[in-house]
Amino acid sequence: MLFGLPEITIIAVGGVVLVITAALVYWGLTFEGHD
Amino acid sequence: MAVDIVSVAIVSIYFLALLGIGFWASKKIKSTEDYLVAGRELGFWVFVLLMIGTVCSGMSLLGVAGLGYKAGWPTIWEQVFVPLSIGICIIFFGVKLHTIAKTSGYITVQDYLAHRYESPTALRSLSAVAGIIVSLIYLVGQYTAISMVLIWLFGIPLWLALVIATLVTMAYTTIGGLYAVAWAALIQSVMLIVGVIVMAPIIIFKAGGFTAVNEFIYSINPNLVMPWNPAGAFAPPYVVSFALLLGLGLACAPHVINNVLAIKDVRYFRWSPLIAFLVYGVVIFLLKFAGFAGLALVKTGVITQRAGVANPTDYVILDALQASLPSVALWGIFAVIVLAAVMSTTDRLMLTIGAMFSWDIYKNVLKKDADDASVLLLSKIVVIISAIGTMIIAINPPEMLAILIWMGIGTMLATFAVPLLAGLYWRGATREGALASMSLGLVAALVFGFLNYFKVNAMGIDFAAIPLHFSAYAFVISLLAMVIVSLLTKKTADKVLDETLTGWYISK
Repeated sequence: MLFGLPEITIIAVGGVVLVITAALVYWGLTFEGHD
Repeated sequence: MAVDIVSVAIVSIYFLALLGIGFWASKKIKSTEDYLVAGRELGFWVFVLLMIGTVCSGMSLLGVAGLGYKAGWPTIWEQVFVPLSIGICIIFFGVKLHTIAKTSGYITVQDYLAHRYESPTALRSLSAVAGIIVSLIYLVGQYTAISMVLIWLFGIPLWLALVIATLVTMAYTTIGGLYAVAWAALIQSVMLIVGVIVMAPIIIFKAGGFTAVNEFIYSINPNLVMPWNPAGAFAPPYVVSFALLLGLGLACAPHVINNVLAIKDVRYFRWSPLIAFLVYGVVIFLLKFAGFAGLALVKTGVITQRAGVANPTDYVILDALQASLPSVALWGIFAVIVLAAVMSTTDRLMLTIGAMFSWDIYKNVLKKDADDASVLLLSKIVVIISAIGTMIIAINPPEMLAILIWMGIGTMLATFAVPLLAGLYWRGATREGALASMSLGLVAALVFGFLNYFKVNAMGIDFAAIPLHFSAYAFVISLLAMVIVSLLTKKTADKVLDETLTGWYISK
C-alpha cells in the first residue's frame, strides 16, 4: 500500500496518465501546423 | 445557511463583472461571424482557458465530487478522460476543421458536415436539430448546478436561484456573443483553477490528508480504493465504455468542437492539448478527492448527508467546505468558483444552440437569402429562448447531477462521433451513411438512455444493469450504420473529399 492505495490502483492509473502525457508531449514536439 | 452580506457582495461583484464583459464585447460585434466565432481571432491562452471552461461544467465541481463520494476510486477514470477530451478534440477534429474552416468560412461544425457529405439541407438540418437536443439536455444539468450553489449559499428558493442564474448568464451571452463567452471563460477558468487548488486541499486536510482518506474509505469498503469495482457499477467493461464516453463524447460535442473554429493560428494546437490535460487534470483530480474526503467527513460525523433534496451526494463538497472553512466570506468565494465553472459551460451551450438554429436551420435551410442583421438578431433571440426553456425544465432537478450530464454527453457521442470521424478520415463515408449513422445514433441513445435511467426490465433484459454505459451501445449502432450504408451507396466526389482534407492523416 502506497498513500493508502493498493499497487494495482497506482500502476493502472499512474500508467495510463504517464502514457497519455508522453503521447501529448510527442504530439507537441512533432506537430508543425501552419495556416 | 443565513444570507450573509459579504457573500452577497462577492457574488454580486462577480455577476457585475460578467455583465461588464458582455457590454465591452458587444462593442466588438459587427457581424454574425463576430458573434458566433469571435472574428476568428482568439489568442492562445484565451483558447486554452475557453476549452477548459467549456469542458469544465457543473459535473466538474459538484457532480465529480458527488460521484467520488458515492463510488470512490473506480470513478477516477473521469479525471483522466475528461481532461484528455480537450486533446482529442484538438488533435483528431480541430487541426483539420480549423484548416478547412479558414478557407471555407465555417461558422459551425454543421457547415463542415454539409460540405463534406454534400448535404446542404438534410444532414445540416438533422445535425443541427440533434445538436440542439443534446445541448438542451446538457444545459438542464448546468442550471441544476447553478441553482444548487445559490440555494446553498443564500438559502433562497430553487425558482429564484434559477431566475437569477439564468438572467445573468443570458444577459452577457446575448449581448457579447463568443467574445464575451471567451473572455468570461478566461476569468472563470483562472478563478476555477486557483480556487480549487487552494480550497480542495483544505477539505482533504480536514479529513486527515491524502493517505488517511484512502485508508478510511478502504476500511468502509476495499473496492472503493480499487481502479475498478468488480462487485458493482464501474466493473472493467463499464470503465472502458466510460472512458469512450468522456474522452470522445465530450470531444465531439458541438459546444466544444465549435471553439476550434475561432482561433487565430493553428500552431496553438501544438501545446494546448498537453497544457489543458495537465492543468485541468490536477483541478478535476482534486475535486474528486475532495469527494472522497467528504465521505470520510460524513462517516466520522463531521458533516451529515442532506435529507430532503433530490441529489444529496452532489451537496457533499459544499457541506464539506462549510465544515472546513471558518470564514463565511470564503464560502462566498467558493460559490463564485462553482458558478464560474458552471456558467462557463452554460454560456457556450446557449451560444451554440443559437448558432445551430439561426445559422444552420434559418440561414442555410429555411431562408437562404436572409441578411446578416436578421441572422444575428435571431441568434440572440434563440439564446434567450434556450436559457428560459431549460431553466423551466431544471425546476425539477434529476436524482443525481452527473447522470443527467452523462446522458447529454452520451447522446453527443452516439450522434456526432461517427459522422465526424468517418467524414474526416474515411473517404468511403457517404451522405446516406452519415444520415443513417446520426439519426440511428441519436434515437438509440435516447432509447437506451431512457431504458437505463428508468430501470426498465423488458425482453428479458434488465436495462438498469447493462454492463456498458448506455451510450456505448448507441455508438456501436451508429458505427455499424455508417459502415454498412456507406458501402452500399454512392461515394462522395473526389473534389469534395480533397477540399475537406479527407483521408487517414491528421495534417500533411
